[in-house]
Amino acid sequence: MTIHATECLLRLHDEHYELEDYQSGVPRWCTGCGDNAILAAVQRLCRDEELRPEKTMFVSGIGCSSRFPHYMKTYGFHGIHGRALPVAEGVKMSRPDLNVFVNTGDGDCCSIGAAHWIHGIRYNMNMTVMLHDNQIYGLTKMQASPTSPRGLKSNTTPRGAYLEGLNPLTVTLGVQNVSFVAQAVDWIPEVLYDIIRAAYHHKGFSFVRILQRCPEWLPKMLDPWVHDPLKINLLHHKNGLTLSPNISKVYRTQEEHDPSDIHRAREIASELDPIPVGILYHDPHVPRYEELRNAGQQRSTRFIKAGFEAELDKFTVWPAADAKAQTGA
Amino acid sequence: MQVELQAHIAFHLTGRIPQGEGDALARSDLQPALFAGYRDLTGLRYDFPLVLVADDKQPVLSLSALLDGAAKVVAAKDDGERARKHAVRLQREIRKLIAEGATATLFKLCDLAIERLANSDEQLGKSLKDLRAALKKDGEVIDCDKAMPFRMVQHVWKGLQEQKAQKARAAINALIMKLSDILSADFGHSKEGMSAERLQAAIGSAHRDAFDFAAMSRLLTETTINVPMAESRRQRIRSLLSTLRAQRFFAPAVDGDKRIGVGEPYSFLFENCTEAVAAYRERLPKMTELAKAMAMARLEADGEYSEARHDAFFAGFGDNGLDADDIAVFPDYLVCVNTNDLRAAETDLILRAFAAGMPVKLAVQTDDLLEQSPIRDDYVVGGLRGRQLASSAIGLGLPYVLQAASSGLYQLREQIARGLAYRGPAVFSVYSGANGGSLQPYLVAAAAAESRAFPAFTYDPSAGTDWASRFSLAANSQVDVDWPVQRFDYEDADQQLVSENVAFTLVDFAACDPRCGKYFAKVPRAKWTADLVPVAEFLTREPGDLAEKVPCLLMVDRDNQLQKVIVNDTLVGEARRCVEAWRSLQELGGVHNSHAARLLEQERKALAEQAEAAAAAVAAAAASQPASAPVAAQAAPVVASSTAAAPAVVEAAPEKSSDDPYIETSRCTSCNECTQINDKMFGYDANKQAFIKDLNAGTYRQLVEAAENCQISIIHPGKPRNPNEPGLDELIKRAEPFL
Repeated sequence: MTIHATECLLRLHDEHYELEDYQSGVPRWCTGCGDNAILAAVQRLCRDEELRPEKTMFVSGIGCSSRFPHYMKTYGFHGIHGRALPVAEGVKMSRPDLNVFVNTGDGDCCSIGAAHWIHGIRYNMNMTVMLHDNQIYGLTKMQASPTSPRGLKSNTTPRGAYLEGLNPLTVTLGVQNVSFVAQAVDWIPEVLYDIIRAAYHHKGFSFVRILQRCPEWLPKMLDPWVHDPLKINLLHHKNGLTLSPNISKVYRTQEEHDPSDIHRAREIASELDPIPVGILYHDPHVPRYEELRNAGQQRSTRFIKAGFEAELDKFTVWPAADAKAQTGA
Repeated sequence: MQVELQAHIAFHLTGRIPQGEGDALARSDLQPALFAGYRDLTGLRYDFPLVLVADDKQPVLSLSALLDGAAKVVAAKDDGERARKHAVRLQREIRKLIAEGATATLFKLCDLAIERLANSDEQLGKSLKDLRAALKKDGEVIDCDKAMPFRMVQHVWKGLQEQKAQKARAAINALIMKLSDILSADFGHSKEGMSAERLQAAIGSAHRDAFDFAAMSRLLTETTINVPMAESRRQRIRSLLSTLRAQRFFAPAVDGDKRIGVGEPYSFLFENCTEAVAAYRERLPKMTELAKAMAMARLEADGEYSEARHDAFFAGFGDNGLDADDIAVFPDYLVCVNTNDLRAAETDLILRAFAAGMPVKLAVQTDDLLEQSPIRDDYVVGGLRGRQLASSAIGLGLPYVLQAASSGLYQLREQIARGLAYRGPAVFSVYSGANGGSLQPYLVAAAAAESRAFPAFTYDPSAGTDWASRFSLAANSQVDVDWPVQRFDYEDADQQLVSENVAFTLVDFAACDPRCGKYFAKVPRAKWTADLVPVAEFLTREPGDLAEKVPCLLMVDRDNQLQKVIVNDTLVGEARRCVEAWRSLQELGGVHNSHAARLLEQERKALAEQAEAAAAAVAAAAASQPASAPVAAQAAPVVASSTAAAPAVVEAAPEKSSDDPYIETSRCTSCNECTQINDKMFGYDANKQAFIKDLNAGTYRQLVEAAENCQISIIHPGKPRNPNEPGLDELIKRAEPFL
């Protein structure tokens, strides 16, 4: 038996983290990219919540957004396209003690990863999912994504996109076991931070869609909303976000919305203009898959060895008698 | 199973281990489970060692705090992460040196540690030397050992005495100067003072021949109206001067002030109460004389001394003892005594001295809490002498009292300083934990504090008039429960994580001491049954509920293997007594106070009765008027509408002049647009949001470009500062939308 050191009796001097403790490398995102704002907000969250870097994990798929783990000085997993959520679920299942964050993009989550997304919501495992939605494929130089608005001209839709963009909020709110849905925009950093913090504190699958600007491929698309504060509908409630006086003064379109009201949440989710920003839905009582399945059993050496043996046994040529014994025949 | 249980119960009740059952505790091997992880204290960043520095405000600092401070200074210039890590390594090395027995000042220890760490790594050596250079304060480094409590108290006391002495010296010097001036002025006006020789002596030799001093003297003596000072006053001033000069209470300042302190200065540090009281008694006349001299000198210096009024008063000065203001000027007596040397007569004497108002500070150190029982061949957890003294002192009401284990002294440093500066007697009762056992004194002391065997408290009569403001238990952990409870994680045989809440009880404290070994018996793992219940739980159960249960303790051996030991009833009884004592302390400290609880219960009852009566009255009224029952009263409260509500408080935005450039930092999205243009002009703050770092590091053109590029238009370029910048007209036009 090994005993972990406990902190009692002694008054140990606290470790305090600075923003730099979570910064790793210079982001390769374009200058002006909204991803930078999300990164700064997440690093602030880690510092303010004093998340221990070795206990924190960022999982991503493929895309501009998915470079995120490279810029965090924590553990990270830059996965394969569309599969950020399954990887994160695996991590959570085997290590429920880790703080798991998922960074995914509108292509990664809503196109190739859509099935995982739906089931990820249903599983309701404790993780914070940030959907960086810039409504375009930026890394591959401007192709329409599922959330691109109808009529958007891109390299794959030179005559304009034929379909209405998918609305990630209404989709998420339509799935069983949904427990936390919020929307943020990258250009109001204070509210972005507050929303991500609320999402982090929710014990369950916290889905935050973050509308972000792509200065390279869609430089002017969100300008009407960026430059007119009245076109942002801030949701506030005593059980949701509380707005600071400074924010209230600038963003005057506001609505008091109780995050436990899923019907009103679905109505708000369908509104496109003004853009709703805030916590749409929150239910802390939805059961979590990792709890239902008693996740987090540490693997004993015996268990791991048995697993290895079983894998190797698949390739073993058994003498006829032994093979019988093996198959139990 | 039944057999094992019987054996366990037999041991619990009788202390005898039946043949073949259980296992006598291999003593030196086991430690309380919560101590796992503290085998090597040198690797932990805790309060000790301490550094005693010459500083009036913070005379005691922790090594960690000092080095962390230095690392912060270095980190500001250089690679922060590295500097911090190096500071931690340096700390560990210094802790190791001290554990090996090194005694030196901080700077010397630093140098030694750097030598050991950096013998192969030049880079590291340089970095550590930077750290060392950033350390501003030197002082003795002391670990938590037997000598620590007295050294710490004496250090703080010396600092306070020096401050007091400085003040007193300045006052005495000023009085001596003024009195001397009075005498010399008187002499200057006398015939001798104006004699030709005197006058000549007063002039420099260069012009000595230019004057006729005899004529000058004649003129002066004839023309000045000469009223000589009364002889009695002259005598009085002379005697005052000699008293002030001969005082021995305040040593002359180190920088060589020769005017006072002619005699050998008194020492105020004593090793036993008898000597201190005797010295006080012996010096009392001198003290009265000096206080009287100072009071008289003050009057003389101001020319207000009137013989008719003051002579009688000063003749009887000090007959009724000195008043508090007079005493406060004089040094305090500090007695540092170990309870082993504290005889009953001494305790009695010092308590009477306290009651008489002698300004003595008494530090009492207990090294061993286990005491031989007077009635059996047994040990009891006591430390009675120190504790008795503390509680008797509280009973007197006047003295300041502090009790603590040495592990908590750093946290209580301000309270110690407060007690030493207190105008009146003070008692500091400290348990050092240095009982000669194999465990480090720090751990033993911490265990005593944690297990309520030696709880910490302060009683400060100067803080107020009632117990709530005078008495504080705040230095204890988890004040509102019987035993502090800690989370304890371990892995079981299948390497699965198990978390338990483990209470640290008096029995755990006793288990640290080999002398209590006979009260414990190790139970082999095969015999761990559900009948073994933790001591804390055992103590809370009703005696009738305890049949077939045996109290046990979680302990770990050298290899951190978890063990269970069962506990003899003797110790359980001790623990019961200990928790009783703790509960009465809690009541004094206002936690679960029975009087308050009783009062609360009464008030609640009265309120409930009132509410009932009111409800009955309303019901009676309603019954008499059934038709006119107000409907509105039953309506549900109006639900707040979901329309946009203007926030109640709107912070007034600071008025910005449009001439000065600025950034709305809180709205910045950290997108790097401006820092790419000029990273000397624009920088990020601690939240990674942009601000104007240095306006002079760039041009107005760059400000305007940054404003144009900023995606959310939060950069306001203001008016140009340099009127000679080329292309200004165009730039001003471009800047207009962003002003």
